[in-house]
Amino acid sequence: MRKILTMLMVLFVIAAHAQQESLVRFEQYVQAGFNFGALTPVSLPNNIRRIDSWVPKFCPSIGYEGVYRFNERWGVGLAMKFEYKGMVVKDSVAYLHTIITVNEDGQTTEFEGDFTGTNETHAYNGYLTVPVNAVYDPGGNWRFKLGFYMAFLVDSKFEGTVSDGYIRNGDSLGEKIMISEATFDFKNELRTFDVGLQGGAGYRLSKKLSVEGNLNWGLRPAFPSSFEGIGFNMYNIFLTLGVAYQIR
Amino acid sequence: MRMRAGAIVKIHLFIVGICLVLSSCIKDPPLNPEADIETFIVDESLLSGPTFIDQANRRILLYLKPRAFRKGIKPEITMSRGARSMPASGDSISFNGGPVLYTVTSESGQNQKVYDVQVVNVGNWTFNFEHWELNQADQYEFPVEDDGTILWSSGNPGVAISGIPKNPQAYPTHSTNGGYAATIAAELNTLKGTPLTELVGIKLIAGSMFLGTFNSNVAFIDPLAATEFGQPYVGTPGRFTGYYRYTPGASFQDEDGNIISGRQDECSLYAVLFHGPDRLTGHNVLTSDKIIATAELSNGTAQSDFRRFDIPFTFKQGAKISNDMMLAIVASSSAEGDHYRGAVGSRLVVDSLRVVPK
Repeated sequence: MRKILTMLMVLFVIAAHAQQESLVRFEQYVQAGFNFGALTPVSLPNNIRRIDSWVPKFCPSIGYEGVYRFNERWGVGLAMKFEYKGMVVKDSVAYLHTIITVNEDGQTTEFEGDFTGTNETHAYNGYLTVPVNAVYDPGGNWRFKLGFYMAFLVDSKFEGTVSDGYIRNGDSLGEKIMISEATFDFKNELRTFDVGLQGGAGYRLSKKLSVEGNLNWGLRPAFPSSFEGIGFNMYNIFLTLGVAYQIR
Repeated sequence: MRMRAGAIVKIHLFIVGICLVLSSCIKDPPLNPEADIETFIVDESLLSGPTFIDQANRRILLYLKPRAFRKGIKPEITMSRGARSMPASGDSISFNGGPVLYTVTSESGQNQKVYDVQVVNVGNWTFNFEHWELNQADQYEFPVEDDGTILWSSGNPGVAISGIPKNPQAYPTHSTNGGYAATIAAELNTLKGTPLTELVGIKLIAGSMFLGTFNSNVAFIDPLAATEFGQPYVGTPGRFTGYYRYTPGASFQDEDGNIISGRQDECSLYAVLFHGPDRLTGHNVLTSDKIIATAELSNGTAQSDFRRFDIPFTFKQGAKISNDMMLAIVASSSAEGDHYRGAVGSRLVVDSLRVVPK
């Protein structure tokens, strides 16, 4: 974490220095947009039988980006964004292994079993995100970016219900226990730091205003490996669609 | 303008692409890993009571008439989708050799479950609780008869899914060496709810034990319906006798966990004769209009030494003995435990229970 912060400071210093040295080499943008996507396994495990619905949540993303141009074509961009990533997904699962752990008053209880039925998950997580990009400007109105991002969780929600199904005590051979509806809340289990790849394109509509699309692909599972409530890894995969306004 | 439209189209294609990537990933369904016997159907004219499949302990309890017991049966069974069994559905089985076992292999081929088919014979209605077995997966005890069959059940299979430590002594109902005349007996304890049960509003778990079966299937959606009371009974019962000892816990609490000062917990112990073949449940065991007679311990307060009780059955006015009857014995360390009221720490020990015919 300290390394990351040191690196960021160095980049900001370079940017600030660049600004002083040559104003035309340094561009600044404010960005606003929305995130569409999901906290999802990258390849759906065969336990997920059907996605019944996916509804994006209202996920604004606002940010500031500074781009330092090395030359006509190439530059490096550093941004700071505050954004939400979320969705509501309803799916049907079969034989999904889960361990539910409840800690209360120093007492830990655990239930382990295989669930078959309907799952509905509401995820809505706020991140302070720092994207670092290589910027390529082929001339004309297009601009392309490729890089990575680091995201710090500042607000979290990961909850939902399991319903209309059954859970088997222990594993698939355990006795069947019907479930009409039960709730879960895993927000305290979420990792607070995410890192991923990102890339996208912007198209200039006018001198100052561009539309931008950016795919953000999280590389770190949203839950630590010690968490066994969900039997597969999930990643933040979101597309940001929005506008950028050049302020300098 | 043309370029701008182009950009929008490209972004659209991008979204469509992502949707395709995510939705095209639905894989072929996994082969079914389950290996249940779901139904075990025997010609009703051969049965004296409804068959019960004890999924937790992998036993099939059959209530056979003597003729069927001698000649054998051809049960039709259904299993989890894709599973197969040895012997197969429709095969003849007989009870004059050793144990009758059904081995079920899941569709996935990875899982196997062995069910032990037991013919239940209630015999002389005397229960000393000298023999106990252990549920392997969840490590709770349950009493078995001298011939190894199961007549008694308890709330333990329900408690097993509430995250209790897997240790016989941690469960509400287990055996004890401190029975009447230093024999083994059944001990029932009222426990505090676990963090998991408290999630669904259950703050107290009473120790319970009863003649009948526990249907895990509905343990979560309707716990009172999971306790199915009664075993087939023939004749006219006269008295319900036995020994018990009871220590109420220190503080009585209501269903919300509030301590009610000045109130003492009480145990409950009763026998109910009713018209079968369907079992009564926690919802109606004392209120059903199928009830013919009851014998109930009237005073469930503290009893530090073993006390013998001998209670005559009281018959409901106009109720008639039939040849399709069931009898249940129910014991609980907290009389209102079915409503999650009682005192944590209440302990009931019962031994040598008996239904004496008239």
